[in-house]
Amino acid sequence: MDDISAGTEGRNSVHNSDELNSLRTLILAPEQLEISELKERMDDPKIRAEELSRVIAEAIVIRAAVDRKLATALLPTIEEVIRDSVKRDPKFLADSIFPIIGPAIRRSIAESLRAMVQSMSNTLEYTFSWRGVQWRIESFRTGRSFAETVLMHTLVYRMEQIFLIHKETGLVLQHVAAESINIKDADMVSAMLTAIQDFVNDSFSAKEDSSLQNLDMGELTIWIEQGPRTVLASVIRGNPPSELRTVLKEILENIEFEYNMALEGFKGDASPFEPCKPDLLYCLTQAKKSDIRSNKAVAAPVKIKEKKPKKGGENVVLFIYIAAALCIVIIIVGFIVSIL
Amino acid sequence: MIQKKICMLGSFAVGKTSLVRRFVENIFSEKYLTTIGVKIDKKVMELKNQSLTLVIWDIAGENGFHQIHGTYLRGMSGYILVADKTRTATLDNVINIHKTVAQVFHDVPCVLLMNKMDLTGQWDVQESAIDKLSHDGWDVFRTSAKTGQNVEEAFQRLASRMLEK
Repeated sequence: MDDISAGTEGRNSVHNSDELNSLRTLILAPEQLEISELKERMDDPKIRAEELSRVIAEAIVIRAAVDRKLATALLPTIEEVIRDSVKRDPKFLADSIFPIIGPAIRRSIAESLRAMVQSMSNTLEYTFSWRGVQWRIESFRTGRSFAETVLMHTLVYRMEQIFLIHKETGLVLQHVAAESINIKDADMVSAMLTAIQDFVNDSFSAKEDSSLQNLDMGELTIWIEQGPRTVLASVIRGNPPSELRTVLKEILENIEFEYNMALEGFKGDASPFEPCKPDLLYCLTQAKKSDIRSNKAVAAPVKIKEKKPKKGGENVVLFIYIAAALCIVIIIVGFIVSIL
Repeated sequence: MIQKKICMLGSFAVGKTSLVRRFVENIFSEKYLTTIGVKIDKKVMELKNQSLTLVIWDIAGENGFHQIHGTYLRGMSGYILVADKTRTATLDNVINIHKTVAQVFHDVPCVLLMNKMDLTGQWDVQESAIDKLSHDGWDVFRTSAKTGQNVEEAFQRLASRMLEK
């Protein structure tokens, strides 16, 4: 009896299943067809490539307008392709860039000459003008070098040092500094900056997303930009334009993106971060008061290329001043004596 | 060049700063300067044919882990526990610190320095207690910041353990 009822139940269930399939086909047939077509398109690399080719150019244009991440991602591949191309046939690339080599050299020479003339003009102005004499006396009085004194009076701002710091460990990943800057040990400064941030966060129970952004010490300001895994600390003398902060933020974002893997697996080896040095050097900028007077944009600052003048040279100039002053006094005294 | 962050932990006045000074500059000052908050030092050493920079965070000694700024320990690759041979309480304290730190920072190498070994007349910690710790798997060094005894060796040991990881 049990066997008969089981057989009937089985037949019923098969019958129900057939009905359900028919119903499913009736209701879902168009969608199923679409799904199978989509699956076919997704599985076929040729179709996928064709479809991608229709949107890729537009996608590149859109992304390039948003940020530099596409360029950053493509850079290593393009560099490698160029390297391979030069290795295979250097003549091809030489021929390609030949039309721009001449103008580039001419422009570079003109730029160097312009800088030299400007530098000479500044030197003459600072050496023989009344203001120059005042600055020399001030430099002599304060014990600062003449170059430092001039810089103090003519500078709007100067980005002196940039530290790229691993956020978790406080270890320095990269450090760049402008010429003629007295550099302390970057490793220790980096760790100390991290400790200061930790101390502030701990002591004032700051929220997770809040962080120390500025440190001010007399003429110096330290801007601290925080990324998820890195910190960019910039030491600036003077009053920097706010646009510079945006530049620093963008650089930090690019570093976080480009060195994602290296940051993920960081175990104390900073060598993978060496290639980001040019980006940091780019930020070592300065702007002088004369740049503002001549309407040169502060947001497009001048690259620092200055050499520290020799102290001996300064002393010679000061000696000449004193000798000239003595001569003038002697002549005036002689003149007065002769009249009397 | 590999860089590693290490932390010095221990009670107040056990000789952490003096040990660091001895290791970093190879000199010892009799004048004790109380560490406020944290002091950073650095030492470059050669180990297993590679250059290693140790950035040493000398953290202010307090009586207990909770008084230490926990965030100072973040990202450390190793730590040095320092106890004073003339004060048993400092050994108990570092054992407690170690327990708490190990809960948060798993598998971070550490060494224990039993400092002030030069004060032979004032020893308080029993030798048997130190031997027991060694037996339990602790890396213990009997050191003196004043004479330089075992200071270099302790740092070397921690450095090689960090590189093994």
